[in-house]
Amino acid sequence: MTRVVEIPVNFDHDTFDQFARAFGTPEDERLLFDAHATKWGSPYGLIGLLAIGQWLLEQQQAKPLLTIPNDREVAHYWARTGFFRHADDLFELHGKVPYVGTTGSSDVLLEVTPVRGADDVHSVVDRIQDRAAAILRELGLEPQATMGFAMALSEACQNIVEHAGTGGWVAVQAYHWRRRLGRRVAVIAVADAGVGFRTSLAPTQAKRVGDRWSDATALEAALFQGVSRFRDPGRGQGLTGMRRYVGRWEGKLSLRSGTARLSIVPGWDDDVPMAEGLPPFPGSQVQLIIPAQQSN
Amino acid sequence: MPTIDLRSILQETVSGWYGDLVTRSTGHAVRRGVEEVLAECDGEQVAVMDFSSVRLLDLSCADEVVAKLLLQYGRTRPFLLCGISEDHQEALEPVLRRHGLAAVARDRMGRARFLGVITERVRVALIMLAERGSAEVEDVADHLAVPTSAAREVLDELLERRLVLTNAAGNQVISIA
Repeated sequence: MTRVVEIPVNFDHDTFDQFARAFGTPEDERLLFDAHATKWGSPYGLIGLLAIGQWLLEQQQAKPLLTIPNDREVAHYWARTGFFRHADDLFELHGKVPYVGTTGSSDVLLEVTPVRGADDVHSVVDRIQDRAAAILRELGLEPQATMGFAMALSEACQNIVEHAGTGGWVAVQAYHWRRRLGRRVAVIAVADAGVGFRTSLAPTQAKRVGDRWSDATALEAALFQGVSRFRDPGRGQGLTGMRRYVGRWEGKLSLRSGTARLSIVPGWDDDVPMAEGLPPFPGSQVQLIIPAQQSN
Repeated sequence: MPTIDLRSILQETVSGWYGDLVTRSTGHAVRRGVEEVLAECDGEQVAVMDFSSVRLLDLSCADEVVAKLLLQYGRTRPFLLCGISEDHQEALEPVLRRHGLAAVARDRMGRARFLGVITERVRVALIMLAERGSAEVEDVADHLAVPTSAAREVLDELLERRLVLTNAAGNQVISIA
């Protein structure tokens, strides 16, 4: 039996819970992810989709189906991000995948890239630095923002390597965020379909927190107390470093894992700091947004 | 004074293509490489870790290389971090603070920098020593406008944390910055 999971028309961080609800808890069924009506896919949405494709393939040993967007421009954009190159390995694709050469598109700072080990992190960090410098300058950020951006990217990717228990994905893009902000933004999105924060931290933290242990308390412990699944006291600094970085540049950081989402919410956004009771979704999803500075 | 070029160690121990000190596993390999160099040097010498050719240093590597070396050897051997950029400093400061550590550094302009957990009085003494090169306890007392006994406490702390050296006679402290 095949069940249809509709991809939201605007598929991004704000509609991800709608997607997770539609995904539900798959049983012995094949899923068809229907993106034919989708008009926009953010890096967060696209790599979330890849992560779930990977999870289903690992769980069911069968590729789910994916219909690609009817809108030619949208499909082209997805192709430019490198999405289809990886989606082809994880989904049975339906629809015409547009051919795009290696254009070095200025809005795609880092194409959708798999992260499985430390080598991948080195490669990602190496590739991002020159391109990020140019884009962040355009956003009106000071030169030292570039290294911080690369450092945040490195730490976000390492969360996969160190904690997910499986591979994941990263993408970095810059675009004009008209609907929410009316400014250009640089966005890092990192996702995996691994064990999630709650399972990862449970051996060292669950007992301490007791009955309150949940996806939400696990996220709080990681982001605010800098705890890690390792007993090494030097561990767990990556997320707190990302928090400092977004604080400095009026950015937004959002971590979703299981049924909770914890965000560092800047003044320009009206998201809630903690959302609990969300539709469950495997692994962890991280988004970091750095907006153009106001004077720009 | 052995100078340890971290980029060379990175390229010898991990990959000839890498220019960034990022990830735990890379930091672990680089630290092992540094330890091999240190094992061949006199324990009293200042170990100079040169960051000049390192592009990016992330928190994981700052912890794995610098913090762990200071935790392991910092009470027995003085360290100087040289060629550090503002970006390196951004990674080093929180990592050192997390462990309650301090380090003497020199930036890319050759200026002395004192990182990590250092009280204001200790910082003032370190700056004075870096400017003069060396001083006696009375000089430090004058500079800090404190009694000699208080200045001696400051210098004892600096010596215990290996943030300065003493001369052979033991009557002068010498800056390592």
